[in-house]
Amino acid sequence: MKRVVITGVGAVTPLGGSVDALIQGMELRKSAVCFMEEWSRYCGMSSHVAAPAKLKDEKNIPRQKRRSMGRMSIFAAQAAEQALADSGIKSDDISNRTGCIIGSTTGSAGSISRAFEIMLFEKDLSRLPSSMFFQGMSHTAAINVAQYLGLTGCVMATSAACASSLQAIGTGYEFIRSGRQDVLLCGGAEELHPSVTGSFDVVFAASVKYNQTPQKTPRPFDEDRDGLVCGEGSGILVLEEYEHAVQRGAGIYAEITGYGTCGSGSHISQSDKSSIIRCINETLNDARTAPDEIDYINAHATGTVQGDKEEAAAIGKLFGDSVPVSSLKGYIGHTLGASGAIELIASLIMMEKGIIYPTLNLDGTGPDCRGINHVKKPLKKEINTVLKNCFAFGGVNASLVCRKHIA
Amino acid sequence: MTEQEIIEITNRVFEESFELEKEKLKPEAQIFTDLGLDSLDIVDLVAALQKNFGVNMRNEEEIRNIRTLQDVYNFISAIKEREVTN
Repeated sequence: MKRVVITGVGAVTPLGGSVDALIQGMELRKSAVCFMEEWSRYCGMSSHVAAPAKLKDEKNIPRQKRRSMGRMSIFAAQAAEQALADSGIKSDDISNRTGCIIGSTTGSAGSISRAFEIMLFEKDLSRLPSSMFFQGMSHTAAINVAQYLGLTGCVMATSAACASSLQAIGTGYEFIRSGRQDVLLCGGAEELHPSVTGSFDVVFAASVKYNQTPQKTPRPFDEDRDGLVCGEGSGILVLEEYEHAVQRGAGIYAEITGYGTCGSGSHISQSDKSSIIRCINETLNDARTAPDEIDYINAHATGTVQGDKEEAAAIGKLFGDSVPVSSLKGYIGHTLGASGAIELIASLIMMEKGIIYPTLNLDGTGPDCRGINHVKKPLKKEINTVLKNCFAFGGVNASLVCRKHIA
Repeated sequence: MTEQEIIEITNRVFEESFELEKEKLKPEAQIFTDLGLDSLDIVDLVAALQKNFGVNMRNEEEIRNIRTLQDVYNFISAIKEREVTN
C-alpha cells in the first residue's frame, strides 16, 4: 500500500476567500452568520439565518471556463487553484495520474432553480442557456475544476450531503493508496439557497430562534442549541502519493492514515451513536491508532438537538473526556458538502500552529452533551493526530484520521 | 427596424453575452476565430438574438453559414424583412 499525504490546501468560506482568512476569523472568534432578510418572503420558512460566502474575482476565470460554473463551482475552482498553488505543483507537472474528487449535496441549487423557473413559468426551453445543465449536474464542481485546471486523471464526485467532501477525501485516499493515482484534488463545495435551508427547516433541524441575534447561532453542544445554520463555500486539499511528494520536495501538512464510512441503516434523517461508534472504530482500525493516540477531534456537531447528542455520546463512549473536541460550525455555519474539507483544513492548520480553536457559542454544555472534553476557549496543545467526523442525512457516516508528518 | 439598429442590438448581445470589447466588434470579425466563440456559445447567441429581436431562428438552416459579424447582421435583416413581407 502507498502512503498518502496532504501537500496543499485552499478554501473559500463565509469568513473569506482564503485559508488565511478562515484562520484569522476563527482567531478573532468571528461569526459569519447573518440575518437573511430576503428569506422572509417564503411562507412556512422560519429559519432566516445563514453564513454566506462572498463571490469575488470570479471574472479571473476565463469566460468559457466560467460559463458552466454555478456559484458552488466558482468557489470550488478558486479553492482548487489555491490548493494547487499551495502544493507547488505546476501545470507542467500535471499528468494523467492527476485528477479530482469533489463532492456536493446536489448541483448548483441556484442554477437548478433558475432552470425550473424557465421551464415551469416561461415554458420555453429555447431560453435555457447552453451551460445551465452543466451547472446543475451532481458532479458539477468536479467537472468544472477538472476543466479549469486541465486535470486528466480520475474525475469523480461523491454525493452524500454533509459527508460528501469527507467521502471525497477518503475515496481519494483509497485511490492513491492503491496506486491508481498520484495526485488528487479532493474536497467539496456547496452554495446557499433558500431551498437548502428549507430542507432542514421542514424537518425542524434548522435554527429558528436566533433570527434577530444571528451570531448567537448555531450553538454546537450548547444547552440552548436549536438547529443548524447553512453556510457555503469550498475546501480543497491536494492528496499526493508520499514518494511523489518527497521526490519533488513538497511541503507536507499531514499524512492520511485512516478512513471509514458506513451507513446507519436505521433512520433517514436522524444520526445514531451506535453507527457513529462503528464508523470511528473502523477508521481507527484502518489508521492502526488507539483512541488515546488521538490528540484532537474535530466534531461534525452542527447545533441540532438530536445530532449533537448522538455524536457526544459516541465520542464519550470511545474517548471518555480525555480528548479535546470542538466544532467549527459556530464560525461558518454548516457548509454541508464542503464542511468536511473546510474543517479538515482548519484542523491541519491547528496541528501546524499547536492550537485548538474552541466551539463558538458553546456557553453552557447541554446536559445531553456532557462527558466529553469540550474546548471552550483557545487551547494550546501539540497535535500529532486528528480525527475528523462528518455525518449526513440518509444515515451516512464518515471519519478520517490524519497524522502530523515528521520529516 | 433600421440596419443601424440591428447592428447596435447585435453588438450589444455580443458585448453582454460574451464579454467582448466594443473595439473587437468589426463587421468582418470572424465569430469563431477573431471573437473566440465556440459551438456552445452559438446556442446562447441564438437564444439572446431571439430574445432581443423577438424572432424565432433556432431552426433556420442559414445559421450554419454564418461566419462573420456582418453575416449575423445580414441574417437578422433577412428574417426581419421576411416578417414584413409576410
